[in-house]
Amino acid sequence: MNTQTGALLHQAHMTTIEALQSLDELLGANKKAPAKDDLLGRKLKQLARILKSEVESHFGFEENHLFKVFVEQGETGIVTMLTHEHRSILPLALQVADLAVAAAEAGFTDASWTEFKDAGAELVEREIFHIQKEEMGLLAAIASLVDPEMDEELANIYRAEVG
Amino acid sequence: MFPGSFMMGAKDRLLPPSIPYRFFVAAVFFHLLAWVLLLVGNEGVLGFVGGQGMTLAALHLITLGTLAMTAMGAAIQLLPVATRRPLGPVWAIKLMFILYAPGVALFAAGLAHSFAWAQHAGATLCVVGLALFGGLVGANLRRVDDLPGVTRHAWLAVASLIGLAILGLVLVIDFTKGFLPDHTSVAAAHAVLAGYGFMGMLSAGFSFVLIPMFVLGSAVPDAVGKRTAQLSGLGLVLGAGGVLVGIGTLSALGALLGLAATIVYLRGMLASLKTRMKKRLEPFFRMVWVAWALLPVSLVAALLPALGAPLDPWAELWVFLLVFGWLLSFVTAILQRIMPFLASMHSSALGGKPALLSHLSPKLPVDIHLGCHTAALVLISVALVGGWVWPLRLGLIAGLAGAIAFGVYTVEVLRRYRSHMAAAVAAHQQG
Repeated sequence: MNTQTGALLHQAHMTTIEALQSLDELLGANKKAPAKDDLLGRKLKQLARILKSEVESHFGFEENHLFKVFVEQGETGIVTMLTHEHRSILPLALQVADLAVAAAEAGFTDASWTEFKDAGAELVEREIFHIQKEEMGLLAAIASLVDPEMDEELANIYRAEVG
Repeated sequence: MFPGSFMMGAKDRLLPPSIPYRFFVAAVFFHLLAWVLLLVGNEGVLGFVGGQGMTLAALHLITLGTLAMTAMGAAIQLLPVATRRPLGPVWAIKLMFILYAPGVALFAAGLAHSFAWAQHAGATLCVVGLALFGGLVGANLRRVDDLPGVTRHAWLAVASLIGLAILGLVLVIDFTKGFLPDHTSVAAAHAVLAGYGFMGMLSAGFSFVLIPMFVLGSAVPDAVGKRTAQLSGLGLVLGAGGVLVGIGTLSALGALLGLAATIVYLRGMLASLKTRMKKRLEPFFRMVWVAWALLPVSLVAALLPALGAPLDPWAELWVFLLVFGWLLSFVTAILQRIMPFLASMHSSALGGKPALLSHLSPKLPVDIHLGCHTAALVLISVALVGGWVWPLRLGLIAGLAGAIAFGVYTVEVLRRYRSHMAAAVAAHQQG
């Protein structure tokens, strides 16, 4: 991974994986709805922020800028596969983020915890499998398909749009 | 070497699912059959140092039927994706299976019942199938210059395949003609080339791609792959050559070089694991640990007969640790992971959500398989060393129970995949 764009995406993946592992631990440690407290509230807000950033800004950058470069070079297979996965992850991530924000404010009820747990578990699995594919395919593809000028341009767009 | 190349273009290069799965299903079937044969012919297991019968038939059901069959199924799917070059026409892959799978069955039947015609016909079909495989892999590798870690091991595997096939045919002919001055030495060289050469090099080469991908670890540096290939290549020449010409110290040196290659390989794998993003390792990794632990143990065990220890039980223990300990554990671990992985990749073909790996992979059968396989390894090793019948029988029963559990796992993965696809078809038709 010797491109700026690859390094930025990798850093975002690391942050997302960390958040997902923390979510996985939360789900595994609580069979019933956990009691509301400040620490849990902060964790849930942070989770919601990272998830929204991943599926809105990060996915948006890939679909609107990066994938176009790939398609121009005929690498349509990986673009189709990853875009397709974005479609299944995005609503799930937003659902978990919304539930997390609501729970950070008002705590979980039994019903909202069950919903959060089911959606969260599915999200962890789908998103990690997706990141696995991006880490193993997309980052290598950037290294071999994107020239240094385009890499600079894409990295600047990423910093401006995603942060 | 960059493992990332594995996924790049993966969607474009996925074979129809029935192609790799026919190899996987056959491998699982022969795995089951091998344990049945071992149990039925258990009286010939203790003290086995060669010769026709149930034990040799079962051994070849594992080596040809399970290990090589899985290697073929995995390679035809993984190699074109990893190298980003096509492997060859689908008809050639289908022909390879049509020749090879019945060849394995016929050959094993011939060995079990001492039917020379079945041995000759089965071995010929197997060699033709393997030659087709070697040709396809070789043609693919000739166009690759950017994956030295993988390709050097794959070339060593192809070279070993040629050697093991020639020695294998010579051994089969010797069963009826009896022209070899030392059948056992040729059989041992054949085992070195088959176990450490063909299967070992394929396993090591693909590890450099698959393990970092599954754990989200850092890529293994090309230098590591080059070093393991150099040490392994030299070790194979000395190991097989030493056994063939009857110079034990030469084969012992080969085993030591193999140990050095193993240390470099395992250090490379552990370095990748240390940097992994996924902290919790998946269930299949338990079997990888078993395999990795037994690879160096098998090489240490190889030193004993090489340095003059009696073949009974030390050569038998070495072959058991090599085939059932290192290779069968590694191959079933990879099968356990790769079958639902490929199914998940195919499951979004109609546009629906991809099937979740956890929904495709039942956990109980692989837990049972792990427990039974590990128990079988311990019990049978103890039985071989001590010459005890009851630990052997218990070990064989455990092995068979594990193979049944693994068969249930395979059937269930395929059933769940089909059920997901049927639901996807229904949803697609409804618009």
